[in-house]
Amino acid sequence: MSLNVLIMESCDRRLTMSNRSVPLPISYSQKRTSAAGRGWRPTQERWSSREHQPEWSVRKEEMSRKQADPESPGSPRGTCQSMCPNRELQERESQNRLHRFETLAGTEKGRRPRADPQRTVKEYSRPAAGKDSTRPSDLRPPAVLLKTVCYLIDDIATMPGQTSWHEVYDFVFDRLRSVRQDMIIQRTTGPDCLAILERTVRLLVYASFRLCEEPLRLYDPRINDTHLQESLSWLLQCYATEPGPHGNQEEFQALSLLYNLGSSRVLQHTLELPKQLRSSPTVALALSINRAFLERNPVRLLRLAQRLSFLQSCALHRHMAAARHDLLLLYSHGLSSRNCRFPLPRLAELLGLDVGLAGQLCRAHHLEVHQDGQVVFSKTRFTKPEPGRLRCTARHDMVDGKRSDLAKLGSIIHDGPVNKEFT
Amino acid sequence: MFSVTLDLRIFANNAEQQLLKKGKGQPGDMLEKAAEQLMSCFRVCASDNRAGLDDSKKWGMLFLINQLFKIYFKINKLHLCKPLIRAIDSSNLKNDYSMAQRVTYKYYVGRKAMFDSDFKPAEECLSFSFQHCHRSSQKNKRMILIYLLPVKMLLGHMPTLQLLKKYDLMQFADVTKAVREGNLLLLNEALARHETFFIRCGIFLILEKLKIITYRNLFKTVYQLLRSHQLPLEAFLVCLRMMKVDELDLDEVQCILANLIYMGHIKGYISHQHQKLVVSKQNPFPPLSSVS
Repeated sequence: MSLNVLIMESCDRRLTMSNRSVPLPISYSQKRTSAAGRGWRPTQERWSSREHQPEWSVRKEEMSRKQADPESPGSPRGTCQSMCPNRELQERESQNRLHRFETLAGTEKGRRPRADPQRTVKEYSRPAAGKDSTRPSDLRPPAVLLKTVCYLIDDIATMPGQTSWHEVYDFVFDRLRSVRQDMIIQRTTGPDCLAILERTVRLLVYASFRLCEEPLRLYDPRINDTHLQESLSWLLQCYATEPGPHGNQEEFQALSLLYNLGSSRVLQHTLELPKQLRSSPTVALALSINRAFLERNPVRLLRLAQRLSFLQSCALHRHMAAARHDLLLLYSHGLSSRNCRFPLPRLAELLGLDVGLAGQLCRAHHLEVHQDGQVVFSKTRFTKPEPGRLRCTARHDMVDGKRSDLAKLGSIIHDGPVNKEFT
Repeated sequence: MFSVTLDLRIFANNAEQQLLKKGKGQPGDMLEKAAEQLMSCFRVCASDNRAGLDDSKKWGMLFLINQLFKIYFKINKLHLCKPLIRAIDSSNLKNDYSMAQRVTYKYYVGRKAMFDSDFKPAEECLSFSFQHCHRSSQKNKRMILIYLLPVKMLLGHMPTLQLLKKYDLMQFADVTKAVREGNLLLLNEALARHETFFIRCGIFLILEKLKIITYRNLFKTVYQLLRSHQLPLEAFLVCLRMMKVDELDLDEVQCILANLIYMGHIKGYISHQHQKLVVSKQNPFPPLSSVS
């Protein structure tokens, strides 16, 4: 009997905890302070659970409730006109907590580097009890937020000559997070909100590709993924609720499909979109790639993947290794015969790799590759490669070839694929 | 005890109706509130360990779960169902609830399994539900069938035309015919024609998976026509082109065949050098139900 209680307890906890697992952590402490005295029922909060439903939807509901009730005050409006509130700037300067990107040129070598007000950006800080994050002087209005995002992209993320991109990523990731925090507190909507989210998603997609081989202590794909998913679903929700038309909606529906390859949730969502949107070339291509995945046709998948634009390839990148593995698995079973050979160049073409890498991949799967460039498929020999044996950065060239330089990266993150690269 | 559950149900229904009346307001909002209340009742029921088995509050659990399922499916929060299913799985009363409640429960568990692509358990649950559903509730039986049919088809059991007629599910008729004949063209047409219905029910993606079986049936026809154990890949390409599968070449044909071989639908191997599929002399196309 007591076992049952335990089980139920754990199940309860799951349900009520789920709200806390929402990773955008502007969370309850904040909401509670802003909601106090408005007859906000605590039970409501408990059931705001909605795992995977980001906070903005809670925020929206709050907002609509507020509109219905004229007596309640509006959400806080920021008045801070710079990227970093003055108070924080001074505080971090005195505590010596400035980032390398924020110090005044010339002072960074000294014992106490000075802050450059043009370059300092409000950092993300976890909401905590007793902390008031709703002070208007600490919040940046939407236009300033957008300017901040543009600064982060133009002057930090795509700045030529940076030595370690993970440092750049660390900085940009944190500052973008604080931008989203400001947006949530102020319940920002409208074109600025869309523009910010679009850029955020593009940048995080790019980061997921660029850093995928970094060690865990420098880059955690899981955390990046959580934030990316959240920004993406927030964005898609904005498209759905705000009056359109939205010029970039196709691009992001497609990114969502590619990044979440094979996810029935995303597919079902896409199917429910208006037909016009679904049949646009970008979304249609992303859908065909998903179909190829569902039909388990890696040949087609890899072939279609070559038609993707740079950013789309980045989004799909995390699934490419699996697709290639799948192709070898299927061929090892389908073409398993002692006397049969398969020309390696042909296989390389199917895999979308050059001959050298394709041979390497085959050997990693314990498949025999003869000197004369013939592969022998065998279902008994085929084994999963040991983890760590294959490095995927070697295969980045293919994706990287789709863009020429960093300057162009900036324009991709700002505007999406301007010149659509349909090869 | 019974009056408690009855009250709850009325409460839940009221909440649902309020939502319907509101219409455009905040869909899902009232339902979530109702779910919250139901959940707190559920906790009370589930944690009742003191009372003897005869009048334990636990007898109310399944009913509440079914109500919660209805809400969760409506607001598309399927992940919330999992702890509830676990609670019932570990309950020692699970086979002693009333049949009506169990039918509903299995229906939802089946649907959930289906969305998670666990087709075997989905088939079991939905079949149980269908077989034990009261004979007079035709509407419910039809609802079960909408989900049971695709799952059965995926596992290789095709429904008869009478069945489809009886339950007014003629949307499936062409799909069935296409899969059985290996007629990809018809399948694509049928899916496109009833797209709205299938998407609304959330089974469009699952029906698309029938393509693999359709390929198998089509290729079997090729084999029967050629009456040989060595089949040129070109033949498959020709027949796929006939089905208006565009953008296709021999590489993709090989891939489709390799997949079918891997899944066990075809016994044989492909010779790339000779561009031929060599099939086993015995039983090259094992019956579908024996495969998956």
